Amino acid sequence: MSIEELDHTADAKVRVKAGTLEELFSEAGRALMQVMYGRPGKDGRTHPVVVSGDDLESLMHAYLSELLFITEVEGLVISGADLHIGEGIVEGVVMGEPFSMEAHNAGRGVKGISYSGLSIVHDQESYILDVIFDV
Amino acid sequence: MTMLPGVQRVGEFEWQVPVGYIPGMRVPGLFFLSEALAGTLEEGAVKQLANVATMPGIVRQSLAMPDIHWGYGFPIGGVAAFSLDEGVISPGGVGFDINCGVRLLATPLREGDLGKRRELVERLFGAIPTGVGGKSALRLSNRELDRMLLEGSSWAVREGYGIDEDIRMCEQEGCLKEADPAAVSQKARQRGMPQSGTLGSGNHFLEVQVVREVYHPEAARAFGISQGQVCIMIHCGSRGLGHQVCTDHLRILEAATKKYRITLPDRQLACAPIDSPEGRAYFGAMAASANYAWANRQVIMHYTRKVLEELYGVAYKDMHLVYDVAHNVAKMEEHLVGGTRMKVCVHRKGATRAFGPGAPDLPAAYSSVGQPVIIPGSMGSPSFLLNGTSGAMEKTFGSTCHGAGRVMSRTQAKKRLTGREIRDTLGKEGIIVKAPSDAAIADEAPEVYKPSMEVVRVVHEVGISRLVARFEPLGVIKG
Repeated sequence: MSIEELDHTADAKVRVKAGTLEELFSEAGRALMQVMYGRPGKDGRTHPVVVSGDDLESLMHAYLSELLFITEVEGLVISGADLHIGEGIVEGVVMGEPFSMEAHNAGRGVKGISYSGLSIVHDQESYILDVIFDV
Repeated sequence: MTMLPGVQRVGEFEWQVPVGYIPGMRVPGLFFLSEALAGTLEEGAVKQLANVATMPGIVRQSLAMPDIHWGYGFPIGGVAAFSLDEGVISPGGVGFDINCGVRLLATPLREGDLGKRRELVERLFGAIPTGVGGKSALRLSNRELDRMLLEGSSWAVREGYGIDEDIRMCEQEGCLKEADPAAVSQKARQRGMPQSGTLGSGNHFLEVQVVREVYHPEAARAFGISQGQVCIMIHCGSRGLGHQVCTDHLRILEAATKKYRITLPDRQLACAPIDSPEGRAYFGAMAASANYAWANRQVIMHYTRKVLEELYGVAYKDMHLVYDVAHNVAKMEEHLVGGTRMKVCVHRKGATRAFGPGAPDLPAAYSSVGQPVIIPGSMGSPSFLLNGTSGAMEKTFGSTCHGAGRVMSRTQAKKRLTGREIRDTLGKEGIIVKAPSDAAIADEAPEVYKPSMEVVRVVHEVGISRLVARFEPLGVIKG
């Protein structure tokens, strides 16, 4: 599994690699936290998550948009997720720690998850996600 | 000079992207750029300009201002107008930060009056919540939020966050009448409630500035600006509420794109006919978010006035709002198209309205010179005040640039300079920077933007707005 920030002039472009789809979604959430807070959270609290979408890209878009909502409204800095990915649905729980101004001030606010440039490809070894966060 | 293949020069600063550059273009693309800025142009941005030209009902051209850069959906700096009968409305032409915008507050203080400058910056930083997780002192009920979403600036003024005159000094008097709070989801409300009156993060800022040079004395007089005067520039938007509205309606409009059998080269351009249930719902929610942003900037300006009042004894009413402009918005406006006046839906994504003399919706005092156009520079670099022109009405649906435009990614920026180094360098130039973290400063170093002077020179030379004054920063608070 890996998270890499790629060059993008205006926004934050991230590439995430993982062995399974479940790991890809979990890592994508960590990548979002890394951009927003400078690092992902630590385990401690949990929060349920369920989103739907027509295809894999829509599911990822809906999932990351939901995480953006949870982190902002619940003040949860997400560390990972335990998810089940079914036909057109992602459900499970996300883990994380409460936001603190002192510990989580090394990032930048993400306004939204862009559909432009969102792609998920699958080769024999792994899933690769490219996604752009509007910052 | 080198220009991307397929792009044709049609004027000293005008470049055309012909129909056929990508399949499905209904109109050509046109952007404004100087030779000096040509090297900053990204192929991805030109592709996005061409993508917009494929959208149904687009009128005349897909346009981009000289601060054009690669965004999502529309390029940043993009402007497009759509006919009301055949055209579409798209969140990709507005962006996540609906009505991200700028306002300029003029004070009676001169540069020499501004002692205690560090204390001023510290006090402003203390008074205005900033950064990721910054929470407001305002506690809004759902009902109050509804009024804010319906009324914009005038809600804030009525609640005691300003004076009546402020309302007239906002584009559209700080309120889009088409706002529909019912189209704003509960999620958007939950995000927006604790954030009204907060600055946010990223490129948002509040800057203490001095008018360093006046280029157009008549317009400067009309705007109440003179050399050596201390002003405050406030740059922020609709916070999580607007972001969530964009996310929610993007999803609805994606389904609508399929329903209305619209073919698009980019999913972020998801759209619906303007007069469809989905199009109307997005427009109503977007207008409500725009009103939230106007109220937000009004509240932040109120906090600023209070600090200046306490620290320097300046009377609240003696600090006048010069103007407030929106950068990311879609609006119904009347324009001359092919010799006929028609109502169109103008999308401005990282572009500023620049209505010329005599245009509707201008305060009486500005009617003879055109509207003030406020162009923030990047942190530590000059900002500009311009005036709208008849040239903008003819060429760009009354639009001009919105800022400098980035040229360097955030990852590159951080490799080059640390936040502390940038803060120290600016400090030596007499500019005090205060931010929640050094990382926020490193992201927004002056070097990561196109030179703002060159961007405004282009719009001035093209005649889509005219230079009025240049401002230099004295202190910055960053989100």
